[in-house]
Amino acid sequence: MEFLSHLSPMFFTLIAAGALIGVIFGAIPGMTATMAVAVCLPLTYALDLTNGLALLLGLYVGGISGGMVPAVLLNIPGTPSSITTTFDGYPMAKKGEGERALKISIVASLFGGLFSAGVLFYFAPVLADFAIKFSYVEKFLIIFLALTVIASLTKNMLMGIFSGVLGVWLSLIGTYEITDGGNGETRLMFDFMEYYLVAGFSLLPVLIGIFGITTILQDAEKGFKGDAANPTIKLTKGSRFSLRVFKGQLVNLVRSSSIGTFVGMLPGVGGSAASVLAYTQEKNFSRDSSQMGKGAPQGLVASESSNNALTGGALVPLLSLGIPGDSTTAILIGAFTLQGIQVGPLFIGENLDTWYIMIAALVIANFLMFGIMFFAIKYIAKVIEVPKHLLYPIIVMMCVVGAYAINYGIMFDVWTLLIFGVFGYIATKVGIELVPLIIGFILGGSAEVYFVKSLESYGNLTIFFTKSPIAVFLWVLIVLSLVFAIYLKMRARKQANLVASN
Amino acid sequence: MKVMTTHLRKLVCAVAIAGTAGASMSSFAADCPIPGNLRVVIGSTSTGGDTYQNSSIVADHLAEKLDINAKVDAVGAMAGFRALDRSRNGNTVMIFHDQAYLGNLYGVNGYDDIFEKYIVGPTVAINPGNAYLVPKDSPYQNIDEVIAAAGEGEEIRVAIQPGGVSEIGFSALKNAVKVEHPGMEDNVIAVNTGSQADKNQLLFDDMADVINGSVQANEQYTRLSEDDQKAMRFVWLTARNETIKQTNEEGMGKTSREDLLQYVNPNVTVPQSESQNFTFDKEFFFLYNKDMNPEIVSCIDTALEEIYAQGDIQEQQKKSFFIPNFKPSSEAQAYLKDKRDQYKTIIKNIK
Amino acid sequence: MESQFLSLFEVSIAFEESHLFFPRIVSWVLVGLLAIILLSKSNRIAPALRRAGQAVTQGSDGFDRKRFFGTILLIIVYFYMMAVVGDIFPNTGFGFLFVSIPFIFLLSMLYVEHKTRKNILVIAVTAVIAPTLAWYVLSQLFRITLP
Repeated sequence: MEFLSHLSPMFFTLIAAGALIGVIFGAIPGMTATMAVAVCLPLTYALDLTNGLALLLGLYVGGISGGMVPAVLLNIPGTPSSITTTFDGYPMAKKGEGERALKISIVASLFGGLFSAGVLFYFAPVLADFAIKFSYVEKFLIIFLALTVIASLTKNMLMGIFSGVLGVWLSLIGTYEITDGGNGETRLMFDFMEYYLVAGFSLLPVLIGIFGITTILQDAEKGFKGDAANPTIKLTKGSRFSLRVFKGQLVNLVRSSSIGTFVGMLPGVGGSAASVLAYTQEKNFSRDSSQMGKGAPQGLVASESSNNALTGGALVPLLSLGIPGDSTTAILIGAFTLQGIQVGPLFIGENLDTWYIMIAALVIANFLMFGIMFFAIKYIAKVIEVPKHLLYPIIVMMCVVGAYAINYGIMFDVWTLLIFGVFGYIATKVGIELVPLIIGFILGGSAEVYFVKSLESYGNLTIFFTKSPIAVFLWVLIVLSLVFAIYLKMRARKQANLVASN
Repeated sequence: MKVMTTHLRKLVCAVAIAGTAGASMSSFAADCPIPGNLRVVIGSTSTGGDTYQNSSIVADHLAEKLDINAKVDAVGAMAGFRALDRSRNGNTVMIFHDQAYLGNLYGVNGYDDIFEKYIVGPTVAINPGNAYLVPKDSPYQNIDEVIAAAGEGEEIRVAIQPGGVSEIGFSALKNAVKVEHPGMEDNVIAVNTGSQADKNQLLFDDMADVINGSVQANEQYTRLSEDDQKAMRFVWLTARNETIKQTNEEGMGKTSREDLLQYVNPNVTVPQSESQNFTFDKEFFFLYNKDMNPEIVSCIDTALEEIYAQGDIQEQQKKSFFIPNFKPSSEAQAYLKDKRDQYKTIIKNIK
Repeated sequence: MESQFLSLFEVSIAFEESHLFFPRIVSWVLVGLLAIILLSKSNRIAPALRRAGQAVTQGSDGFDRKRFFGTILLIIVYFYMMAVVGDIFPNTGFGFLFVSIPFIFLLSMLYVEHKTRKNILVIAVTAVIAPTLAWYVLSQLFRITLP
């Protein structure tokens, strides 16, 4: 165990610093884990490999976890993968249980993070060999599965599906990028728009526009009078956090963490699909899901354990294939090359020490993230006591920073914020559901690439059914998730009728 | 209240002016009209890729030499060109590679003729890693056999990213088949895809016979045992022989320079015409706004010349598997134009 | 027989046209869904539009026109001015800093219910500190590109 000698106080300090900065980045609407890692990458030039990795992995874990904070407290997902955290987190915060919601999320995150680190450590090479069984066809089906689960998240089935398809449509505006193997032509726009829309709408500005700016416009419409201006929410109200909430959640934790790890492993599928899948699986398969969406801890557990499990998952293809599982690990490749280390199928065997250090750093980062968040939560949660007339302008400002910085300085991304803020406002007025819309938007781009490439390669629609046993299995899941969604809707309607007739 | 804000604004303005004045003072020191805060946009959106890495090495050295702030922004090709269009005063410069003109040659939307629209600046480095690979158990032992097989009517599917650096090797291959076996070139088929992960996947799925890749990303795959589904073999590096000769002796991973040299011209031949073999080096160079002050152009040239004369940058570049390759603007322009014209002929030839 | 059946599902996509293949499918599905929705809710559309029109033009109890349109207007001016001022001080982030301060001040003033001395003072201090802190930490320490 020679690697133990690398675990110096410096190592721990850097992980803690990384986790802290990461949490802050994740907690600011519009700033992401990817951005945290990107801006701190130059700092690692001065560090050796061990310490550099400590800092970056701390940032990664902290950044992913930090996203829960605005999701719970402000109903704005800090990172795309914390969308599902808003479903139950914000209702809880409104009930005065913001602190409790955050603590549940943190415990779930810790579990997800450690679970995926364990999976990474014991199964990375095996899983990598499994992951390469997923070609265009299977990846398309995974995305299709994530899209079909929209059905179980909608209030009105028809409007929900329309919203989801509209989200996909919006995501296709722009160029069919040559970096995705497309032909570089623009579509779904008029010629005069090409100057601005050549790259389409970026995800992050759309997300924070729809969640952040829309909320502000809705409150502005109401006029900040009385209650709205000075929130009556008191943090101490409502039930307090206790580990007992996790009783009976083990299945949920393991299932959601497995989904997170697995989706993280598939390059190009997009991490946000993980929490959506985990959330809906919990909704469909748990004994009692009637409270989900109204402030149920089980929803938080599903969402947060799966999105933290992404971290270990995304490192699987990075360390055993040399291929990044998500945008953050793509930057880690840069950190490795800078240190003269090559990632690829032989990485683990040839760099055993580094491999152990990474696992150690990942585990420690999760614990430190837990420590930092758990004890800072009391203060962080006070954000919702800030009067809205001070809070909202600052949120707009931070959204601007996030939108401008996400693609390293593009002004159109800032305008996207406003466009989608206003769009979101009008959309809710006409009954369009924003959650399906945003899920459609997130997944639309990769759905196109994998769909078109599957057909280009095989030239026949039947390939989606006949490609492999995995494809068949995914179809079973797709059908099941649709059947469950319809069944749950009917049951809910029957219950509503019963209540009405009584 | 209003008074207070105007006061405030004045105060902040004063601070700002002092700040910019301070910055421009320092650039005066280097006797150079270059702005104190330089933005270097690159043609790639990845901050983990070769363009970013190389550009940040160059930008850091440049900033130190000229005593300015320089920041690399990975905005991507389209946004990069646009930022360059807007920046007449030299606040923004771009670093990109051969994609800049290859995109234009392949007619990709949004790529203009860089030699007309911009000032082409100095070249700074080469990424020698552009490679073509086959599965380890492929029937083709080398690129000659691939060309011969296509000549005999065998279909060769090559996985590439369309419209640029990844495609030029494919075009050369097709052209080589045309040169050696006229009329058979349509047997070389492009499988258009995106990232390296997707290209590898096509090879694993047996949906491609040859893939474009790189020494850096694929070297470990070439060392897997043959029964591994993921195992690959290099058949061709497009770099020039002299370029590979300049890499560090250790090469990349466990593949030494000696090993790498087996896969380049003249050990591997891909004919470009009757008399000439095709080679392609992916070179990084500066692009400037057409109206930028010519003094800034020469100032960056001089600064880079001094940086390269010192020699630290070469070591740093080589450590990251780049080949230092400084050519001042005028030389670089003529050189890249000639390079472009050669590839233009190839692409025209196979249309 | 089997091959005939399979050929029903054959699709070939020309690379030059491949950018339109998927968008076309999605567009048609979208139009179809829209038609179903409009048909099934046709009787409710006209009255709803009338109500919305009234709220926007004449204002209503639940619709604060000043704050709603004020927000949109301020945001537009904010985004626009940021780029303009940013061009005067290129690559420094000053565009963001100088325009955020008045923006936060004005938006807060628009939203605050009671314009007491204390409230205004708090707003003014926040309007200076928040952007300055954000600018310093992000632009100077982390070297994030700002307008």
